[in-house]
Amino acid sequence: MSFFKITLIRSGIGMTERQNGVLKSLGLRKRMKTVYHPVTPQTAGMIMKVKELLTVSEVDTPLTQKEIHEKRRPPKGFIVENPLRPEATAE
Amino acid sequence: MFGFLRPTQPLSGGLLWKIPWRMSSMQKYRHRQRLRRVDRLVECVDNALAKQGMTAAAVERWKMEMPTEAEMEPRDKYTLFDRNAKKYRKGVHKVPKWTRVSQRVNPPGY
Repeated sequence: MSFFKITLIRSGIGMTERQNGVLKSLGLRKRMKTVYHPVTPQTAGMIMKVKELLTVSEVDTPLTQKEIHEKRRPPKGFIVENPLRPEATAE
Repeated sequence: MFGFLRPTQPLSGGLLWKIPWRMSSMQKYRHRQRLRRVDRLVECVDNALAKQGMTAAAVERWKMEMPTEAEMEPRDKYTLFDRNAKKYRKGVHKVPKWTRVSQRVNPPGY
């Protein structure tokens, strides 16, 4: 099963009630928010309603909100060569 | 009469915004990028559905009715029909929210 990875890149401010409703039902509240929805005609119809505001790509597995957040985290800037407790860093 | 005391319309009347008559080349460039982005999105959605053997009415209708950026004539890309405008055409940048709406086809004959 594949998924649409949908990101809101243009704001919905000032767009029609209907388009803002579609954004809300897709779960897109602010710009640069990414959501995953299964590939269905229903989702496709919703995407088409607000196609000027989104970027869409097809992915095999959806990421959770936590995983998206972790991906966006900048590098820590240091590497721990000899961790005091190896089992703690392995997690 | 000169410099900052010049009685121009914005200075004497307050807020005055004017939209230039024609689009700049950079505005046109960005507009083309936006058109292409929508084309890419529709293509992506269509491919994803086709892999599952499905279709969506909205996608099919868009593909049937709307030309892609490459198929569009410059005339349709940058201007649109307006019955009140001279020669029935005005710049697409005069449309409210023009960077976030799709305006691709015009009445036949105009």
